[in-house]
Amino acid sequence: MIETVQLMVTCLIDTFFPEVGEAMLKVLERLGVSVEFPSDQTCCGQPAFNAGLRSEALPLARHTIQVFEASSGPIIIPSGSCAVMLRHGYLELFAEDPPWLERAQNLAKRSFEFSEYLVDHLGVTDVGANFPGKLSYHASCHLLRGLGVDRQPRRLLSNVHGAELIELPHADECCGFGGVFSVEHPELSAEMLKRKISNLETTQAATLVVCDTGCLMHIQGGLKRQGKTQQVVHIAEILANREPSQ
Amino acid sequence: MTKNAFRESIRNSIADEALQAALDGNAERRCQGRVTAFASLPDHSLRRQRAHAIRSEVITHLEDYLARFIEQVKSNGIQVHRAADGEEAVRIFLEIANSHNAKLVAKSKSMVSEEINLNHALEKAGLRAVETDLGEYIVQLRGERPSHIITPAVHLRRHEVGALFHEKLGVPYTEDIPVLTNTARQVLREIFLKADIGMSGVNFGVVETGTLCIVTNEGNGRMVTSLPRVHIALMGMERLLPNLDDLALLLSLLPRSATAQKLSVYTNLIHSPRRDTDTEGPQERHLILLDNGRSRLHASNLQEVLLCIRCGACLNACPVFREIGGHAYVGLEGSIAPYPGPIGSVISPGLFGAQEFGHLAQASSLCGACREACPVDIDLPGLLLRVRAGQAPSATNEPPREAVGIPTLLKTGLRAFGLAATRPGVFGYFQQAAGLISRLLSPRSKWMHLPASSGWGLSKDLPRPALKPFRSRWASLEHEDPIEFIHTDNKLEITKNALPSISDLAAQFVTELEALGGECVPCTRTQLTDTILSLLKARGIECLMVDDAGYELLLDSGVDLVRTPDASCKAGLTRVAAGLADTGSLLVIAGAGELLSASLLPEIHIAILNLSDVHASLPDVLNTSIVRNAPTAVVISGPSRTADIEMTLTIGVHGPGELIVLLVDDSTSSMIK
Repeated sequence: MIETVQLMVTCLIDTFFPEVGEAMLKVLERLGVSVEFPSDQTCCGQPAFNAGLRSEALPLARHTIQVFEASSGPIIIPSGSCAVMLRHGYLELFAEDPPWLERAQNLAKRSFEFSEYLVDHLGVTDVGANFPGKLSYHASCHLLRGLGVDRQPRRLLSNVHGAELIELPHADECCGFGGVFSVEHPELSAEMLKRKISNLETTQAATLVVCDTGCLMHIQGGLKRQGKTQQVVHIAEILANREPSQ
Repeated sequence: MTKNAFRESIRNSIADEALQAALDGNAERRCQGRVTAFASLPDHSLRRQRAHAIRSEVITHLEDYLARFIEQVKSNGIQVHRAADGEEAVRIFLEIANSHNAKLVAKSKSMVSEEINLNHALEKAGLRAVETDLGEYIVQLRGERPSHIITPAVHLRRHEVGALFHEKLGVPYTEDIPVLTNTARQVLREIFLKADIGMSGVNFGVVETGTLCIVTNEGNGRMVTSLPRVHIALMGMERLLPNLDDLALLLSLLPRSATAQKLSVYTNLIHSPRRDTDTEGPQERHLILLDNGRSRLHASNLQEVLLCIRCGACLNACPVFREIGGHAYVGLEGSIAPYPGPIGSVISPGLFGAQEFGHLAQASSLCGACREACPVDIDLPGLLLRVRAGQAPSATNEPPREAVGIPTLLKTGLRAFGLAATRPGVFGYFQQAAGLISRLLSPRSKWMHLPASSGWGLSKDLPRPALKPFRSRWASLEHEDPIEFIHTDNKLEITKNALPSISDLAAQFVTELEALGGECVPCTRTQLTDTILSLLKARGIECLMVDDAGYELLLDSGVDLVRTPDASCKAGLTRVAAGLADTGSLLVIAGAGELLSASLLPEIHIAILNLSDVHASLPDVLNTSIVRNAPTAVVISGPSRTADIEMTLTIGVHGPGELIVLLVDDSTSSMIK
């Protein structure tokens, strides 16, 4: 085993897309990583934090810190925005609470977004995945601009055997999710989603890859509503896909 | 409900097809333009960090810098006033106006004057205030506020401007943008010449030299600060830079971010009123430094927003602004916020209270495109989060409120979620219950069609929660054996752009000048007079504004030479102090023997530039004694231009539409060493 990591599966994957968690586990274990799942984890507190309800975000942040302090290895997060919450949001939240700030800083140092962990930490850019067909990649906002992670998922995808990677026009434009924003300003969210989907359509790709299940849920939800057939998948699902012979 | 007016204006904007077309055009051209403009600045990310550090230093020690700045500006001969709020600024303005018995004010673009509703206050006091920036003029004629801090009429299409000019100015209806622009030129030319007071904003105040820097493309910023006998500059008290080197750095970022230009057409550097030896310039200059909530912002957790240099790049990059435009950012009762877009959603509640404008900060997906576009790297998403968290300073001592703008129902939902999520057992129970209930609601489809009233259901379906969440699956998941690494590669792909080598400054200068629409005529010193005369003859020019250098050259030529500002001359001839190779710019200065207005009032500006005065770039000439000692210095980059109507570039607005540079091959007499 290379090392032992903790999976922070995120509340969206836990509740809505458990198969993404399973795919992540496959990819990590095939690379020789031992994976733990602290079962008391729930939500990092980002929805309340982003809404400005910091008094509600605080207990969730403390809970998350306590849960992941149980061991000391890397924390792998299959979501750019949850990773940003741990790396940046918690530091803001505990800015005036030195003891908790220190704990938050320690947690931040151990936190990695999934593709970032594979490429930057493990040094892996080809996981031996196979996917026949056209793929397009949507650069999630928090992943791209909050963590500066872009090269990593693109590199991993470019090494997927059989896949043809087609550049999504304006790949770095927000899909309009934004957490509570998508509910609170549905008209704005809808317009942004419309543009994302029409950009996707120009690629002719049947599959859109993301590194954040917020975007996944949002774009897929829009495609379903419009009766479109494109599938939005998490990068772990593509990377877990292997040729039948292997 | 506090957000009805805002929600309503969002819906109206989205439904307005002409507005949508205008905003799409703006977003696409401006964003692409910005990327292209920064491509010519290989070290721009370093410059951005440096700019952030400079502005942070100033803002951290704002009162110290202000005190030094005021002292220097005063010693330059400009009268300085401090205004605690808009009301006081208006009072100071009116006192100055009354002491000169003023009736007409020619204004160049100033967001601060919009912030304090200056026009309205002046009209009420019996003064006529006319906006002279084309976009501002258009919105003033329509009785509107600007919808963008850089391009005020971005929400309008050409046919709307055509109809407006037809109705208000009595000219024939046209959709021809150059014709519309020329109409404004002619109407406003009268205003510049008749105005008692010229009023401007200030882009940067330079502490060490007391410089007021005003950038403008059309030339109106030069007109109002040089033609009327009194100039009043209105400036937010935070817009300071320590010295001229810092200004050179910021000037490499501001025009690129704002209008995708390497430099704006006119970079005005004002030091003092007219001196005894000068032939032109206002007798009096006043500077009004406005607080109006900035001190409160400074003391708050939103201090970083004071770094803003008002380039408008965050508006152009913002996907929300792109959908709604500036007029949709409204307060509680529907009044338009003084500053729109991402920056405005921090500044407006920051200056005028979260009660009135706090909800604006919720109109962001926190995508971070604003921060990415910001030339001084302001953490706008972070500041929007702070506004949401109730950290905007209060103007009325109301207690801070969390989750400003979030409806009660959503708050209750988030609280309930929080209660469950701090108890993993309860959380798991709710997950399973949700999985079951969703199957009752949507037995066949994995994606549920919620009603539009849910918000989410307006444009997308919601997935059913899994019957068995990940936490329940974990114990029984199959584990995989490690396989061999296929390939490892951890090389970072860092490409470094080498600085371009400047082998031939003059050649670069000519290329850049021509790219701006200017013309270059090389000649030797002995050919100079004949070259000028043939230029004049070819263009049928009989009357020429000249500075001393031009006068000496053409003294015996028979051309009618005018040595004072005269709007009836078709052309102006001036010697220029320097040329800048990387931007194709010219440095001109005011002072004894100079005639700055010869490069502004006529339709054609002919400039004499010695080859030995061509320098690499702005930093080489900005912080020099020739600039420091000039009452006014201007960096001219091409002919006067505007893109205020539909982003369509139009050459020749208030300043010259033609710029001819006579590049004189010399080997001596460089003005700047």
